[in-house]
Amino acid sequence: MNDRNNKIPFDEDNYTHNINRNNERLLDRRGFMKTLAGAAGVFAVSTLPWGAVAAKELLGLGDKEYPHQKIADVKDIAVGDSVKFHFPSEHDSAILIRLSENKYVAYQNACTHLRCPVYWVKEEKEMICPCHHGKFDASTGVPTAGPPRRPLPGIEVKVEGGAIFAVRVKRYEA
Amino acid sequence: MKRSYLGVLALSAVLMLNIVFTQMVVHQYYYENYAITILYACVNILLFPIAILIYKKEKNRGGGNGYEK
Repeated sequence: MNDRNNKIPFDEDNYTHNINRNNERLLDRRGFMKTLAGAAGVFAVSTLPWGAVAAKELLGLGDKEYPHQKIADVKDIAVGDSVKFHFPSEHDSAILIRLSENKYVAYQNACTHLRCPVYWVKEEKEMICPCHHGKFDASTGVPTAGPPRRPLPGIEVKVEGGAIFAVRVKRYEA
Repeated sequence: MKRSYLGVLALSAVLMLNIVFTQMVVHQYYYENYAITILYACVNILLFPIAILIYKKEKNRGGGNGYEK
């Protein structure tokens, strides 16, 4: 008996030490480490889509060019006038404003607040949203008053052979 | 019963880095620095095998209680 107790650890000869209760060690050190490693895996997987969309942008797939669409003839718009059109699809209403002799700006005119159609007020030289009286600067599309906080998405235009064409929608800037 | 918490600490550090890099990925994406976004995403993915390695190395460290090998 004596020499057995001096051996540490002594060989077990009873049959009770290995009786495990269910979930006795639900979260031990090893289980916790396993959880941490698993969480690292979840993070790795969750960054994949971000990498994918970034790669898509890098490859230039995001900068989609739509077929050029004729908006109006130059002779039909006086300086300070505006024309409504739809670009790129028929559900995206847009507005073209002739600010000066050679300066044209175009925006998708769904207000960035609640998507009411923004219209051009010639006298005040501003784009106004009728719903909550949001105002946008005509030359940049930046909101200047009212509830909208984000600029209107700009549309690139091109004058060619006496007509104005919509080329593409500019990148949305957050 | 001397336990080794080195693995726990190392894995916690890895997870912290994961959180940081995920945040960086999202931010750099919205700042339109796409190359940096991909870089951070790769680092984040590389952290996973590192975590597995740490786990494998550390899972039997310490905490041995004689009869449970």
